[in-house]
Amino acid sequence: MLQAIDLTKRYEDGLLALDHVNFEVTEGEIFCLLGANGAGKTTTINLFLNFIDPTEGQTLINGIDSAKDPLEAKGHVSFVSENVMLYGNFTARQNLDYFAKLGGKKHLNREDYYNVMRQVGLQEKAYEMKLKNFSKGMRQKLGICIAIIKDAPNILLDEPTSGLDPKAAAEFVKILKKLKEEGKAIFMSTHDIFRTKAIADRVGIMKEGRLVMLRTREEFLAENLEKIYLDYMQEAAAA
Amino acid sequence: MLKNIISKEILDNIVSPKFVFTFLLCTILILLAAYTGINSYRAELKEYNSAIALNKKNLESQPSWGALAGLGTKITKPPQVLSTIITGIQDAVGRSATVNIAFDPKLIDSKYNSNPVFAIFGPLDLTLIVRIVLSLFAILFTFDAIVGEKERGTLKLTLSNRVPRDQVILGKAIGSFVSLLVPLVIPFLIAMIMVNLFPDISLKGDDWLRIGLIFLFFLLYLSVFFTLGLFVSSRTNRASSSLFILLFIWVIFIFVIPKGAVILSQHIAPVPSVHTVNAQKDAFMQEIQAKGPKLFQEWQQENPSEDTDEYRAKLGQFIGEMRADLVTQIETKNREIEDGYLAKRNKQQILALNLSRISPASALTFGALSLGKTGIQEHERFLNSLRSYKPIFSKWVNIKMTENLDLQNPLEQPKPVLDDMPQHEFVPMSLGESFSLALPDLIVMVLMILVLFVGAFVSFLRYDIR
Repeated sequence: MLQAIDLTKRYEDGLLALDHVNFEVTEGEIFCLLGANGAGKTTTINLFLNFIDPTEGQTLINGIDSAKDPLEAKGHVSFVSENVMLYGNFTARQNLDYFAKLGGKKHLNREDYYNVMRQVGLQEKAYEMKLKNFSKGMRQKLGICIAIIKDAPNILLDEPTSGLDPKAAAEFVKILKKLKEEGKAIFMSTHDIFRTKAIADRVGIMKEGRLVMLRTREEFLAENLEKIYLDYMQEAAAA
Repeated sequence: MLKNIISKEILDNIVSPKFVFTFLLCTILILLAAYTGINSYRAELKEYNSAIALNKKNLESQPSWGALAGLGTKITKPPQVLSTIITGIQDAVGRSATVNIAFDPKLIDSKYNSNPVFAIFGPLDLTLIVRIVLSLFAILFTFDAIVGEKERGTLKLTLSNRVPRDQVILGKAIGSFVSLLVPLVIPFLIAMIMVNLFPDISLKGDDWLRIGLIFLFFLLYLSVFFTLGLFVSSRTNRASSSLFILLFIWVIFIFVIPKGAVILSQHIAPVPSVHTVNAQKDAFMQEIQAKGPKLFQEWQQENPSEDTDEYRAKLGQFIGEMRADLVTQIETKNREIEDGYLAKRNKQQILALNLSRISPASALTFGALSLGKTGIQEHERFLNSLRSYKPIFSKWVNIKMTENLDLQNPLEQPKPVLDDMPQHEFVPMSLGESFSLALPDLIVMVLMILVLFVGAFVSFLRYDIR
């Protein structure tokens, strides 16, 4: 479970990036956080991973405060970032092997890695191909593989579908659904309203560091989510 | 965890095109340097042996002691076996000097002088390769060590796991350094095997210790640039900025500080030109030369000429004593002028060396040259041995001239016999002396490494990885 409690972040230059944000993502749930650039989505993820310290409030990963015990907290979360390049001189398997070991999986073999890559739909010829020859979609799939192989109960995704072509994005959605079925708590920051509608159990809209809207799947399906989102964005642009 | 990061770093480096390029280039350069060093040393050794034989032949063929005194003996500097890897200043300074009763010995006949083509391209030795090429590679291996991972997003991904930051920086430092060592160590070992294959190149235990210490200097020098790269990489947000800053510092360290220190020392502690010093010596020499006939005239007035053996013996004794006295006066004065000049020059040299030591490139050069016995100190030591030998030779040849002076038949002097001729002796610097000279440079580099590594370490612990 992922919890943000009164989460506030003010940077040294005075910018208030997050203003008392509260939410939680439970097991088997996909929570999508929509918002414009600079709304505070990535800051939220950075706080969960203790890349920065909160000014106020807490981020809890399975009940562990990630600011107080970051290493322990990180043991319970996987992370997929936007545009991760990985190591270009390594093959897909070598990348997977390195990050699996960092994630604490030390006794996996070649076949285990191949199975995970197969699971996300990477073609077999790509397994031993150097990453520098991968497309963005293939790299994102490998990023998901890294998250899967760590097998943490929580997954943080930072705009994972940005730049993906529609086919790759659709495949990505399938993978996330599968992970959800396995009981993972998934937090995804995104601009992609169509994927959000396809997979989210709950949606939050963030504007200028505040969580201005929170809807369950039933609620946002009953409303026009695109319109609500665009209205918030236009308000943000006008402000 | 640390082991994983180190293995990853090594693997990531050795499969990269930059590693392949570095390895190939280093292998070619180091082996070429060893090959030219070996050939050059063997040629020097041959020339040295020929020069010794030729000098002996020349001395033996002199018709009289007077001719021998004027011609003098030619002393040739024995080539240093470690010049096969550290050329030092020996190509630029002279290799031989004439020691006679008249002039101060000066080293002439440098390799550059005998063949200026060598001067155009300069020596290609291991110090040069490490100083310029490998330091540049150390920068290329580290400029993006931290900031590059940030740009690729792998730093975030790495630190999203249970990985302490100190292990990441340690792992990266160790792994990258090991990768950087491969292009140095393997060709270096091959070069040492190559050197050892030639029977006329005899490396003794002392030489191997020196080679080991020189190698330690290489490692320390590369570590300075390596830790500098890590430091700058953990203080910047763009790999391009990191590379630009590092290249700027590299140019300052390699070219600006060493040259600047020499120019600055020339302004702070000026030294009279060699021409001025020579003019002073010549003026005194002329003064003394004018004194000789005057003294002889005075003696003749006091001792009217007689056709007796007693008179001739007295005259011979007077001439011998007068000559010895005048030579001593010249030598004393010359030594006085020379000492004054050398004191000023040494002051300037020490100032230049100390100023330039803030550059690791200078520290490496001084340290390696001291250990390789091809630096300024060894050159000065050889010159001092010549200066010490000159009065010994002069005294010996003067005694011989006086003993063999035949005033009745001045043109029929006996042929010199060289059996008891004092030999010039040169004892090169001991390992202890060389090491004590290199120690300040070693300390400078160790301090730089410590400061830069702590700087990189602390910077990375606080590094904004977003």
